[in-house]
Amino acid sequence: MLEIKDLHVKIADDGVEILKGVSLVVPKGEVHAIMGPNGSGKSTLAYVLAGREDYEVTSGDILWNGESLLELSPDERAAKGVFLAFQYPMEIPGVSTMTFLRASVNATRKKRGQAEFSTPEFMKVARKAAAELGVKDDMLRRAMNVGFSGGEKKRMEVLQMSLLEPSLCVMDETDSGLDIDAIRVVAEGANRLRGPDKAMLVITHYQRLLNYITPDRVHVLANGRIHKTGGKELALELEKSGYAGFTGKAA
Amino acid sequence: MTVPIIKTKAEQGIATEFARRAGDLPGGAAALKVRSDAMAAFERAGLPHRRVEAWKYTDLRAALKDFAAVADGDGASLSADELNDALGLFANVEGDRLVFVNGRYASQLSSTKPQVSLFTLGEVLRAGQPLLPLSVDEPMVTLNGALATDGAVIDIAAGTKLEKPIVIIAVAAGRSANLASLRHTVKLGADASATVIEIHLTLGGARASQSNSVVEMSTGARSRLTHLLVGLEGSGATHIETIAATLGAEAALNSFHFTAGTGLARNQMFTRFAGENAKLDISGLMLGRGREHIDTTLVIDHAVPACESRELFKAVLDDTARAVFQGKVIVRPDAQKTDGKQMAKALMLSEACEFDAKPELEIYADDVVCGHGATVAEIDPESLFYLRSRGIPKDEARAMLIESFAGDVLQKIEGEQVRDALASITRDWLQQRMAP
Repeated sequence: MLEIKDLHVKIADDGVEILKGVSLVVPKGEVHAIMGPNGSGKSTLAYVLAGREDYEVTSGDILWNGESLLELSPDERAAKGVFLAFQYPMEIPGVSTMTFLRASVNATRKKRGQAEFSTPEFMKVARKAAAELGVKDDMLRRAMNVGFSGGEKKRMEVLQMSLLEPSLCVMDETDSGLDIDAIRVVAEGANRLRGPDKAMLVITHYQRLLNYITPDRVHVLANGRIHKTGGKELALELEKSGYAGFTGKAA
Repeated sequence: MTVPIIKTKAEQGIATEFARRAGDLPGGAAALKVRSDAMAAFERAGLPHRRVEAWKYTDLRAALKDFAAVADGDGASLSADELNDALGLFANVEGDRLVFVNGRYASQLSSTKPQVSLFTLGEVLRAGQPLLPLSVDEPMVTLNGALATDGAVIDIAAGTKLEKPIVIIAVAAGRSANLASLRHTVKLGADASATVIEIHLTLGGARASQSNSVVEMSTGARSRLTHLLVGLEGSGATHIETIAATLGAEAALNSFHFTAGTGLARNQMFTRFAGENAKLDISGLMLGRGREHIDTTLVIDHAVPACESRELFKAVLDDTARAVFQGKVIVRPDAQKTDGKQMAKALMLSEACEFDAKPELEIYADDVVCGHGATVAEIDPESLFYLRSRGIPKDEARAMLIESFAGDVLQKIEGEQVRDALASITRDWLQQRMAP
């Protein structure tokens, strides 16, 4: 279970407060969506869950399975099962995708007390997972994310998500920049990872991704606070009415 | 340039050494005359210092506290096993091996089945031939002319294509530091092709040694020369190397300079295009930490039309290390259709390191494409976060990003075996950094 308790977060550099008391619970086995206008703090929430250092948590807590994540480094969180699919995945020139994936998976397995994969073992595992997402062998040999299209990068994020076997998946605007076919492939990949032991947080501006990944609950984040929580029908409502009702001070 | 009135201790030391040793240096009376003239010219100019424009960032006069004794060539105690241990992955590189220990050819450590006839400078001089004329007017080249003890004389006949590299290994070994002045000549006839690898090492008590090497290269029409310079002398050593190259028509020269952990290194290369449609690619990687200082200075003279030059140098710097990149490209009035590109990039791992980049374009022709650029960066925090969010611990993630930075320039090295060896040395360098 993910419990976010009255979380206040500011940017470490300039002290601007972005999250102003976010509280949220995602039980295991559920998929929750966070929707909201641009600048509402959605990506900040995603980064803070993954442990990015340029944000400062001033009060509140994030508990994953009852344990606070706040003091853990990003790699320690990954070992605890936290995975963030980036809105803009980074390009790593000069490091092949296969090398990157193996370093990532083996570092995580080591921390979890699991045996590391040998190179041939890992190549088998990675190729199988890649094939399921329509990621070609050629992409695994290329430098990580370098020259990949937007769709290929997002597919690569979902491939990593499947290889790292996370229990808490946070997807930050995974649909941005994708055409409808790419959204379907990415959503199918994410749906395969749903399970009774897993919690998923899908962050999105638009409702369309939620046509493919059906959420159990939808939260509306605006001005750094959760303003409304409802079932999947809330997403459709927002699609019609927009966020206008949530951006003013009255909300 | 005004004459320095007061000689430094190093300058006095070298004059004393020359007076003491000149009679033992190879060559007859004619060679001694050339050496004495060179020494006199060097004494007039003195060691290069910061007021000499080309040495602005590398004040050798201030940096050199003293000169080591001129190497006496006593390398007999060095065993092949010791040498191979020191060579590491380079021990497996196949090809002809020419080993110079403390400035002299060591036949017992060199290969016995040369692909081509190779001479040493010592032999040439002892046979009564004078020292080769100098093509570059540089104080350290002048000094090399006075003190040169030995070197490889490689002359590859027209049409000969060597399959395996010629590996020149310069080692400083023994109980104390010494000064070695090697002088190599690499000449390729028309349509010839060859790979020449130069490796510089120091061992045991000689780790604070100094070397002042000169390499003269000339490539005939349509020939292909691949050159690799590897400096692994250690943080106590001083390495000065001057390469003077001339490219014939349609010739291709690919030269890669790798320096990891040399106290003070200056690699200067002067290249002149002598025939049209020739291609030059000079690239390299400088890895510096502690108080190391690595200087790459390049001058490319597009003296004829339609030639192409590419320069890509990268530096990874930590602690208070300093790297210098000076790249001068001259395009003469007749050199239309010149295509020249230059790039220097540094990755700074500490706040106290320094990178000086000085590109200089002198273009006198109007139909040319020339460009240059320089960047200085730190490890990108967003990329670091991305890797760490994938479970990769901080130190490993940093090492991966440094490898990523250096990776594309290492890809320029021709020959998988040497490329892998240098990639491995780069990784070891990064791991040493992370060791507590």
